[in-house]
Amino acid sequence: MRQWRSIAREAVAQVSIVVKFLSFLHVTDSYLFSFTHVLGPSMLPTLNINGDVVLVEHLSHRIGKVGAGDLVLVRSPLDPRKTLTKRILAVEGDKVTFCLDPPRDPTRDYRSRSLVVPKGHVWIQGDNWYASTDSRHFGPVPYGLIQGKVFLRVWPPNSFGSLGQ
Amino acid sequence: MEQLYIYSEKPLFALCYPQICRHCCYCNVLLVERISIRTGKLRPGDVVILRSPQTPRKIICKRLIGMEGDQVTYVVDPKNSDRCKTIVVPKGHVWVEGDYIYDSKDSRNFGAVPYGLLEGRAFWTLLPRKDFGSLAPKPKS
Repeated sequence: MRQWRSIAREAVAQVSIVVKFLSFLHVTDSYLFSFTHVLGPSMLPTLNINGDVVLVEHLSHRIGKVGAGDLVLVRSPLDPRKTLTKRILAVEGDKVTFCLDPPRDPTRDYRSRSLVVPKGHVWIQGDNWYASTDSRHFGPVPYGLIQGKVFLRVWPPNSFGSLGQ
Repeated sequence: MEQLYIYSEKPLFALCYPQICRHCCYCNVLLVERISIRTGKLRPGDVVILRSPQTPRKIICKRLIGMEGDQVTYVVDPKNSDRCKTIVVPKGHVWVEGDYIYDSKDSRNFGAVPYGLLEGRAFWTLLPRKDFGSLAPKPKS
């Protein structure tokens, strides 16, 4: 009887270590930093088409320190299960001028529209305007959809470094 | 069942005007679950809590009226006229409205809300004691 009790006590101790570790991992992943694999052509040349592993921090957007020029992870307004990686070009109150099809001749900008980003929203755009579905198609997105800020590229190792403005 | 949200904004079925008597607004404590949001098992008529699209720090509590693709008819300005408008909820969005449409800032003001802003579904009232129990379906006007 005493043997079973000591075995049970040891089992509980071991399991509690594992549970604590998993909780710590979950809290860090959700609220501090996480690694994300991003791929696609919409952020060339900043991010590779075949995929990069980047470090994302989840603190700045909670305290409102995410602004124009930042690379962010945003939940797609068209498909809530998808997460997009785009750059914020304008925040609430800014005026945005954009063309849906970037013209070959930059001096002629037909189909150019401008609008003011409404309250509580941001304007996101991919760096590769020719292959990106972003705010030019679905409009400004609410700030609450921002999941985190990308700040470091971890993989591939030859392009390890911070991803700035 | 993850968190208890305590909010002290306009209660769901109030008839008092908050501008006139602020002390009429009491606290409701609701039990909120997040599983339905993740699995997508929401239906029109559910009470949901979501992040406000205009003030990202605020969490608001409204009733789900339409999912993506649904046709929604709503009264544009119930205080002044009976004019109705019908729209189709765009892809990836939901239409939310407060129960007391005379004094509610909801999708009639800020448009359809992206599904990603939904935080949870409220299914049980804890406080006040007289309202303890599951949340009632939308009262017929």
